[in-house]
Amino acid sequence: MTTKTKAKANARRTLALDILNHGALALVALLFLFPFFWMVSNAVRSNAEVLAIPVRILPAVFEWDNFAKAWTTLPFGRFFLNSVIISVSVTVITVLVSCLSGYAFARLKFPGRDKLLMAYLATLMVPGIMLIIPLFLIVNKLGMINTFQGVILPVAFGTFGSFLLRQFFLSIPLELEEAARIDGASRLRILISIIIPLSMPAIGLLSLFTFIAQWNNFLWPLIVMTGADNATLPVGLTLFQTQQTTAWNYIMAGATLSMIPGVILAVVLQKLIYNSISLNAGMGGR
Amino acid sequence: MANVTITDVVKNYGHLEVLHGVSASVADGEFVVLVGPSGCGKSTLLRMIAGLESISDGDIEIGDRVVNDLEPKERDIAMVFQSYALYPHMTVRANMAFSLKLARRSKDEIEQMVNRAAEILDLSTLLDRYPRQLSGGQRQRVAMGRAIVRNPQVFLFDEPLSNLDAKLRVQMRGEIKALHQRLGATMIYVTHDQMEAMTMGDRIVVMRAGVIEQIGTPLEIYDTPANSFVASFIGSPSVNLIDGVVQTQNNQLVLQADDGAIWPLPSNVNVKAGTPVQLGIRPEHIYLDPAGLPAEAFMIEPTGADTHVQLRVGKQLLIGVFRDRPDIALNATFHVRPDVSRAHVFDRVSGKRIGA
Amino acid sequence: MAVVERIAATRAVTRKRKNRLDRGEGRTAFFFLLPSLIGVTLFLVVPIIASVVLSFTNWKLLGQPQFVGFANYIKLFTADPQFWPVVRNTLFFTFEYLVLNIIISLGLAVWISSLKMGQRWFRVIFFLPTFTPGIAVAIVWMLIFAPGGFFDFVTGSLAIHLPNLLTDQKLAMQAVIIVSLWAGVGYNTVLFNAALDMVPASYMEAARIDGASAWDRFWKIRLPLISPTLFFGTVMTAITSLQVFDQIYVMTRGGPGSATATLGYSIFQKGFQNFQMGYASSIAWVMFAMIMALTAFQFWLQRKWVHYDN
Ligand SMILES: Nc1ncnc2c1ncn2[C@@H]1O[C@H](COP(=O)(O)OP(=O)(O)O)[C@@H](O)[C@H]1O
Ligand SMILES: [Mg+2]
Repeated sequence: MTTKTKAKANARRTLALDILNHGALALVALLFLFPFFWMVSNAVRSNAEVLAIPVRILPAVFEWDNFAKAWTTLPFGRFFLNSVIISVSVTVITVLVSCLSGYAFARLKFPGRDKLLMAYLATLMVPGIMLIIPLFLIVNKLGMINTFQGVILPVAFGTFGSFLLRQFFLSIPLELEEAARIDGASRLRILISIIIPLSMPAIGLLSLFTFIAQWNNFLWPLIVMTGADNATLPVGLTLFQTQQTTAWNYIMAGATLSMIPGVILAVVLQKLIYNSISLNAGMGGR
Repeated sequence: MANVTITDVVKNYGHLEVLHGVSASVADGEFVVLVGPSGCGKSTLLRMIAGLESISDGDIEIGDRVVNDLEPKERDIAMVFQSYALYPHMTVRANMAFSLKLARRSKDEIEQMVNRAAEILDLSTLLDRYPRQLSGGQRQRVAMGRAIVRNPQVFLFDEPLSNLDAKLRVQMRGEIKALHQRLGATMIYVTHDQMEAMTMGDRIVVMRAGVIEQIGTPLEIYDTPANSFVASFIGSPSVNLIDGVVQTQNNQLVLQADDGAIWPLPSNVNVKAGTPVQLGIRPEHIYLDPAGLPAEAFMIEPTGADTHVQLRVGKQLLIGVFRDRPDIALNATFHVRPDVSRAHVFDRVSGKRIGA
Repeated sequence: MAVVERIAATRAVTRKRKNRLDRGEGRTAFFFLLPSLIGVTLFLVVPIIASVVLSFTNWKLLGQPQFVGFANYIKLFTADPQFWPVVRNTLFFTFEYLVLNIIISLGLAVWISSLKMGQRWFRVIFFLPTFTPGIAVAIVWMLIFAPGGFFDFVTGSLAIHLPNLLTDQKLAMQAVIIVSLWAGVGYNTVLFNAALDMVPASYMEAARIDGASAWDRFWKIRLPLISPTLFFGTVMTAITSLQVFDQIYVMTRGGPGSATATLGYSIFQKGFQNFQMGYASSIAWVMFAMIMALTAFQFWLQRKWVHYDN
């Protein structure tokens, strides 16, 4: 064999291995996606078919209007709206409050600044589930059980956002801000016109993760929203689970609805997500 | 327009004092350059005038108004930064209009003022670009445009040209001077480059380690430096300093250098024999003279117009600057004559100038 | 003398007056921090303190709370028959979940990084469950595991004889772990994949030239280089897994019996079904102590296996 044909054979072998490698992982990925498929497949069949033994992979009759029915009759439309109101409100408050406090930590001199920042960091160590009981009692005391403000306010003041934005604000050249002060801008104006527009990547990240965390949050709204009308999507999903005649097909339709925003965000913002996790990987444990 | 008066100004960062009580005044319409080595406190002083740093002690007045407690925006000043500090997310037009918008000027007024400034600085075709789409020189110009739109009383510059290449630097130097003549505004300009200071300033303030060493016109400072630091900081190549002790020889005062050599002193200098001094001779005051002292060149650097020669007289190392291309060969002996009448004498202990 | 004093006096006066600019900045800082400070105090600091205090009372929501000293803790450790099984379940879950999560996500990360094309799409696929509600995930899996459901169908077709997972004392926890893994490996997969991407290609090439096998290259170069990230992922995963709740609430409610009751589920049960606020708070502090202990243990362990450059 000449070296040329040998090289060719080698190349062909590597290519074959490559294709095999991709194919095998694609198979794993398909298996991994099965629960999503199973959810949708069961959402569009009759409840009798969901419970039929033996199971059918695909419905015999596709009932696409199950989504519309789940949306109005159960009422997942209402739950969806509640989830949107709560997640968006928490996100907006978190971003506003974190911008203000993050800026103060990054750029304003005041006595005790570093100590306060350390205290903020320390609160990040406290696991959320520990605060559930006292938070519930506080919300109860404030008479905000079963209200939107009762669900929203206690989770909208996390310290992580202040810290994240402080770190990002520190990376903006100080001279920009000094130029703005000389141009006659107040601190608030500097924050709004200079710092925030230049911090969109960090603010976007904070918004994304805050929104998703609240969209997926279960225990807190479960405890505070005692009325069925005020349930969020995750809570709503469990409300019908215990009924005698569980409408599994509608619940699967509701589950599908609850996953749509997260799936869209994960796909559309994959680059942002990867970059932010990459940042974590770079700092890994240090 | 306004004058600026600085009285006994002190700056502390915690326990570290970086300005030790400096006083200076800038007349209305004057172009004053603050110059000194890096870290001497020039920027700190400028930023205190701007209101970006608090004043630990002393007073700063702008136009007869003490501004210590005023915010930058209340001081009617503009500043051009070394990094230009252009807002990256705004167009050139928006960058220049920002301060006017904050001052709630009308749309027409803003348009008119921005266009006028753009015309002066030749920026009219760049108004809709973003800073990242501009060259270094253009960015520099926008930074100046942002300063002039508002017609401030005082312009402050912090090393505005140090990010430019040498050629552009010379060109912008001229443009800033021209701008000063056109606007007639008070300007305070910080640089570490003595050449910039000499060519641009009506007056120069020389600083070192948080104190002002000398204030004067460029030629005053060059011709009568107040101390050996100013003498060596101003002028390039740097002044030659010869350490020695004053002696009397043949009824004349001379310098006996530490290496034993005898150097003449200026005739009218007011000093007693036995005083330890430094004799300062500028490189261009060393002339070729066949009747002079024997010297040996060990490095010859032609700049084109002049030739810088590092030479040895006895054991003393000196640098001389000669017009054109002098007939000097490396390591060969030639003869030089320092023009002692234009030399400077400094007290070796305090560094202070010893005058006539 | 008098002159000196007068100068000193004026200096003091001016110094006081001079700091107005700094004070203005302090005031701005105060207003900027105010919303955050109010929120953090009310919803973070007060609850933390309240939680400690509560754990020393017998408050049952209705009626007056009474201070009972360490009674709650003593009851937990000595009298409550449910407590030790719950701790055991929690540790069992955490240990098995943690080990499997790290192995699977690291395997997937390495596999993805070996691909020439489509890396980002594989990353997105495995990441998807991270962005979906844990409750919805658990409900879908519950349908899969339901008696006569898809899982039983598969095991039946393969002639594997297994009892139904959710109703079996031993296997119920395995079902919870499977669901948790499906939902949880994505984040670590992307994290480790990103770390692998950051290993400079020159290291691998140098090793290849030195004749290191693919096996050696992985164990001796890539793994040590990403070990700080691996450590970070392990610590974070451990902290969240000790708090497991959502899956258990939907799939088993702690059952069958108390086979899947964990600390997180206990806090919910004692606090919001029995309204024993004081008792539930003491369980929360036991959980916090376990989180701290496990984290400290991992930090101690890391000296043996985590490599930091320089
Ligand atoms: N924020 C600060 N904190 C402490 N020291 C500072 C600060 N800013 C400047 N300094 C110190 O003050 C001195 C003067 O700095 P500066 O005015 O920037 O010098 P330059 O003359 O180079 O512009 C330097 O020694 C510098 O280290
Ligand atoms: Mg400086």
